[in-house]
Amino acid sequence: MLEKLSENVMDKVSIDFLRNQVLRNAYGNDDTPIAKLDPRVLIVWYLFFGLVPWFLSDVTVLLGLFLFCAVTTRLARVAPLVLFVFALGVFSQTGYLLIVALFFGGSVETLVPLLVLTLKVTTCSLASITVFSGLDPDRLSNGLLWFGCPERLSFSISFAYRILPIMFEELQNILLSFRLRGQAPAHDTLMGKLRWLVYQVKTIVQSFYPLMLNMAKRSRTTVEALELKGYRYASSNMDVLKIKLSSLAIGRNDLIFAAVSIVWAALCFALPVLAGVLL
Amino acid sequence: MTTTASKGAQAHKLMVFVLSMSLYGLATLVSELIPSVQVGIVEFSVEFFLFIPLTLAMLFDPLSVALGAATGELVFSEIMLGQFGGIGELEKFLTVTIAIYIAGTLVRDPRNLKAVAAAAIGATALQLAMSAGVDILKVIFAVEEFEAVPGLPESVFFTEGFAFLNDLLFSGILFCLLPTLFLVPRLYGKIEPLLGMKPRTAEDAPEVPSVKLVLGAVACFVVAVLAACLSKAGFSLIEWEAEWAESTGAIFTGLGVAAVIAIVAAFCLHRNATLSRA
Repeated sequence: MLEKLSENVMDKVSIDFLRNQVLRNAYGNDDTPIAKLDPRVLIVWYLFFGLVPWFLSDVTVLLGLFLFCAVTTRLARVAPLVLFVFALGVFSQTGYLLIVALFFGGSVETLVPLLVLTLKVTTCSLASITVFSGLDPDRLSNGLLWFGCPERLSFSISFAYRILPIMFEELQNILLSFRLRGQAPAHDTLMGKLRWLVYQVKTIVQSFYPLMLNMAKRSRTTVEALELKGYRYASSNMDVLKIKLSSLAIGRNDLIFAAVSIVWAALCFALPVLAGVLL
Repeated sequence: MTTTASKGAQAHKLMVFVLSMSLYGLATLVSELIPSVQVGIVEFSVEFFLFIPLTLAMLFDPLSVALGAATGELVFSEIMLGQFGGIGELEKFLTVTIAIYIAGTLVRDPRNLKAVAAAAIGATALQLAMSAGVDILKVIFAVEEFEAVPGLPESVFFTEGFAFLNDLLFSGILFCLLPTLFLVPRLYGKIEPLLGMKPRTAEDAPEVPSVKLVLGAVACFVVAVLAACLSKAGFSLIEWEAEWAESTGAIFTGLGVAAVIAIVAAFCLHRNATLSRA
């Protein structure tokens, strides 16, 4: 039973699976309501939802903001792997505190500050997942470019998504060929397990040697192709920037999204006050 | 002639940037999926793949490699996976950049294995020391969470020191020193022609960082530490209380919110104007 389970888990965490998830995350959800929004609106939206929760300490307000971010993440249809990594991150930041607190006989009172901290972390992370995973990489980098981010950064984002599947495949091929050529040490005894670990680490380090050489060739080709198109002149030329960014337009959906966000946030902030007035 | 040479150098810098970004980005993306071990606020920060930018920095232009590696980590493992932590990421970006840049400039001749070894382990130690310092400062600034625990500062210093030594001796040697020593001599003279460059020799080695650059790096680092503290502690700058409306703090909060909105709006308008004028 346990063996089957671990086999199942290992099956899921293969390099192929990672590649598919990342690609799906990048290009698989172009038709979501979030992906259709204007990147500039989303970046400003992120500036609010990614920063403001850090400075709040009221559970009701945080809970409201968290619910909203959860809804937007749902709308962005983020890949499961990203959500898993996110959950792991939240747990490693605050979840273990919960267990420790319970272990030392914590009561409901000790849980409230923990809940506040967890809500803060979760809300900010969900906001960043919505914006950075929900958007098409090209649209995201165009949005960043509009706000005057360095051209290198927006180039890196667009390039990273294109090169990643190729590199994943190549790394996998190299690792497989190493595995074919060598025999992994038996790992039944403790000494054997140690040797097996050393062997694995050595394989990974060694497989970066051909990967580096291949990647060097590829990056030369990339840069030369870019230079042919006048990339470095274009990146500092305002005319080119204008043409590049002319696809950005704020439409009706953006206004609706912004309005809903503002109304919801205002409601969240007003809720404690309203409760105070009513009670 | 000089302009062609400098143009070529610029293109080479871009190639090195792309190379370092994609390799280190891929490596961090893989290691990001292995959960990091965190005990309290102390993080056992094992940079398993630091050997990649270290090797590249010793063979190519160190600044491009350092910036490329830090950008790659940011783009691949933070933005692509949606783990972007906002201003807190600045700390990691700068510690990695500074450590790799210094390691790259220290090695004047990559064939000298002693220099390579010293630079590799020194850069790892520097990077670990900087992040340990940031972690300790975080605890000092973010005391409110830890008031309940007596003797906490001592325990934090102990765990930080232990983590530093453990990281340096275990992963520093295993994942930074040995792979760098393995890769640098093998790649030297092989990888440079692929980018259309000459291998680095003692004569055309990169310049030792100037005082101005060092001071700039220190200033950036202080900012990064402050950013990390702010992001970790999440200071309650705005105390949101039910009776806030009567307090003077509310007015200031309102003014602050209005100012932020005004700045964002003004920036958007300004940007729009410059773009439409071009």
